Amino acid sequence: MSDTAPKTVGGILTDNLWHSNPIFMQVLGICSALAVTNLLTNTFIMSVGVIFTTMMSNFTVSIIKGLIPRKVRMMVQVLIIAFYVIIVDIVLRAYMPDIHEALGPYVGLIITNCIIMGRAEAFAQSNGPGLSLWDGITSASGYMGVLLVIAFFREILAFGSLFGFRIMPNWFEPWIIMAMPPSAFFFLGIIIWIGKTIMNHEEAAA
Amino acid sequence: MNKQSLVYTIVFTFAVCFVFVAILAVANDLTAEQVRQNQIVAQQRAVLNAMGISYQSDEEVLSLFEDVEQEEIDGTIVYITEKDGNRIYAMSFRGGGVWGPIVGILAMDSSLENIFGIEIISHEETPGLGGRITEEQWKEQFRDRPVPDGSIDVVRGGSTGDGQVAAISGATGTSNSMERILNNAMERFRELLGGRDA
Amino acid sequence: MNAPDIGLFSLFFASIFTSNILLANFLGMCSFIAISKDLKSSNGLGLAVTVVLTVTGAANWLILHYILIPYDLIYLRFIIFILVIAAMVQILEMVIDRVSQKLYITLGIFLPLITVNCAILGVSLFIEIREYNFVQTVIYSLGSGLGWWLAIVALAAIRNKTEKTKTVPAGLQGSGLTMITIGLMALAFIGFSGMLSVQ
Repeated sequence: MSDTAPKTVGGILTDNLWHSNPIFMQVLGICSALAVTNLLTNTFIMSVGVIFTTMMSNFTVSIIKGLIPRKVRMMVQVLIIAFYVIIVDIVLRAYMPDIHEALGPYVGLIITNCIIMGRAEAFAQSNGPGLSLWDGITSASGYMGVLLVIAFFREILAFGSLFGFRIMPNWFEPWIIMAMPPSAFFFLGIIIWIGKTIMNHEEAAA
Repeated sequence: MNKQSLVYTIVFTFAVCFVFVAILAVANDLTAEQVRQNQIVAQQRAVLNAMGISYQSDEEVLSLFEDVEQEEIDGTIVYITEKDGNRIYAMSFRGGGVWGPIVGILAMDSSLENIFGIEIISHEETPGLGGRITEEQWKEQFRDRPVPDGSIDVVRGGSTGDGQVAAISGATGTSNSMERILNNAMERFRELLGGRDA
Repeated sequence: MNAPDIGLFSLFFASIFTSNILLANFLGMCSFIAISKDLKSSNGLGLAVTVVLTVTGAANWLILHYILIPYDLIYLRFIIFILVIAAMVQILEMVIDRVSQKLYITLGIFLPLITVNCAILGVSLFIEIREYNFVQTVIYSLGSGLGWWLAIVALAAIRNKTEKTKTVPAGLQGSGLTMITIGLMALAFIGFSGMLSVQ
C-alpha cells in the first residue's frame, strides 16, 4: 500500500490516521495491545511506547539503511526495534513503576508488533529519515486512537471510571465481562464495522 | 568495501549488537538506584495499607514510615507499629498462585490470633477472576479477622465466621492458593514471634 | 515453592482452553487473521507454531536460568529471547529440510512468519514473569502451541462458512466479522473453566 501512498507530510498524516489506519484497514499490531485496553491509563502509556518505538526505529532504519547487509536486514531491524523497546521498558520501570507492573510482559511484546516491523520494511527502507520519523509517529498514532476508543468503553463499563477516576454514579454495577478478554474483540469488531461503513460512504460519495 | 561480503556482515552485526548493548547497560545502570527506590516505596505503601494507615502521597508514605519499626529476625524483616495501644506486626509473603507468584504483606496483631489486614503487591492471576484478589472488597474481609485455630479457611458460598473468608467465585484455584500462602505466612509469623509477650 | 501452584494436567488444560494464548492473551493475532482464511494452511501454521513454541520455550528457560539471571543481564532479555527465537526458527528450517522434503514444503513457508509471531515471544516472557519451573515451562509451551493451533483451525472453519453468507452488512464483512467471531470463541473457551477448576 505504501507504494501508492503519497509521500508528502500531509498525505502521510491522513493516510496513516484514516485511509490506511493500521488497525481498521490492515488489522495489524493488535497482538500486543488489546490485552491492556481495559484501562485508559495503561492503554495511553502503552501507545506512547509504541509511538516512540515506531518513530525511532523508522528513523534509525532509514539512517543506516545503506549500511545494512542484505542477508541480515530483518535481524538488524529486529535488533533496532528490540533496543528501543528495552529503553521504553527501562524508563517505565524507573519512573512509572505501577504502570510497568500493570503492563507486565506486554511492553516486551511491542517488539513483535507487526506495525513497527511493517513500517520499517515498507516505508523506512525506501525513504529519508525525516519522512520516516513522521511516518512512524502518524501510523502509531492512528493505532493509538483506535485503542483509546476501545479502552474508553471498556474502562467505563468494567470499572465505572476513566483514567482511574470514578465517574459513574454509585448505583452503577460494573460489568465484569468488560474487564475480560472477549469484550476487546467485540469492541474492535464494532469499531472496524463503523469505520468501514463510513469509509464506504465516503467512497460512494466521491 | 563490499557490503554483501561475509566479513562485513559479521563485523556489522557485531558492531550493532555491541553499540546497543553498551547503551542499554549504561541506561540500566543509571536507573538502577531509582528502581531500587521504587521497590522500597512500593513495599512501604503495601505495609501501610495492610496496617490500615491511610496516606495521600509518596512523601507522606516516607514520613509515616518513620514511625514504623523494622526488626530483622532470622533473615526476615518484621514491621512493627502501635495502633490504638495495640502492637501490629507485618511481614511480606510470597508464594505460587495459579499463574505466577503472589507477593504481598500480611499484618497481624500481637496475639497472632487476629489478622489485621493484607495487601497484594503483585500477582499474575486472570483479570476479572483470580485477579480480583486485589479488590478492596475482597481484602477488606481480612480486616480484623480473628483466626482462633491459627489458620484461615477460604470457603465457597460466603459464610464467613471466625477464621473464614469468602472465596472468589470462578476463581477456586486462586482462592485455594491464597489460603495456602497466608497460612504459610502465619506459620512463619508464629515461628518468628511466637515466644514474645504481647 | 514460588513456582505457580497448579497441577501439570490443569496447566496443560488451561493453556489450551481457558487461558488460550490467542483468545485470552491476544497473542499471535497478526498471522492468525491473515492465514485463517484457509483451513489447510491454518493447519500447517498451527503445527509449525506448536513445534517452535515448545522448543523456544524450553531454550529460553535454560538461557534465562543459566545465563541471564546468574550474570544479572535480565534487562537484555527481550533482545536475547527474540534472537533465540530467530535462531531456533533457522535451525528448525535446516533440520526439516534435511529430514523430510515433504514436511519442508508443508511447513517451510510458515517458518519465517513465526519469528515475528507475538505468541512465541509472549510465551517466553510469561515463563519469566510467572517463574515456571522447567517441567511447567515445557507443558505450558506445548499447551499454548496446541491451543493456538486449535483456535486458528476452528476460526478458519467458521470463516469458511461466514464468508459465503450474503446477509452480513458491507462494513462488517471481513475483519470486522472476524473480530466478533473471535470474541464469541473467546467467550466459549472461557466456558471450559467450568470443567476443571483451574482458575
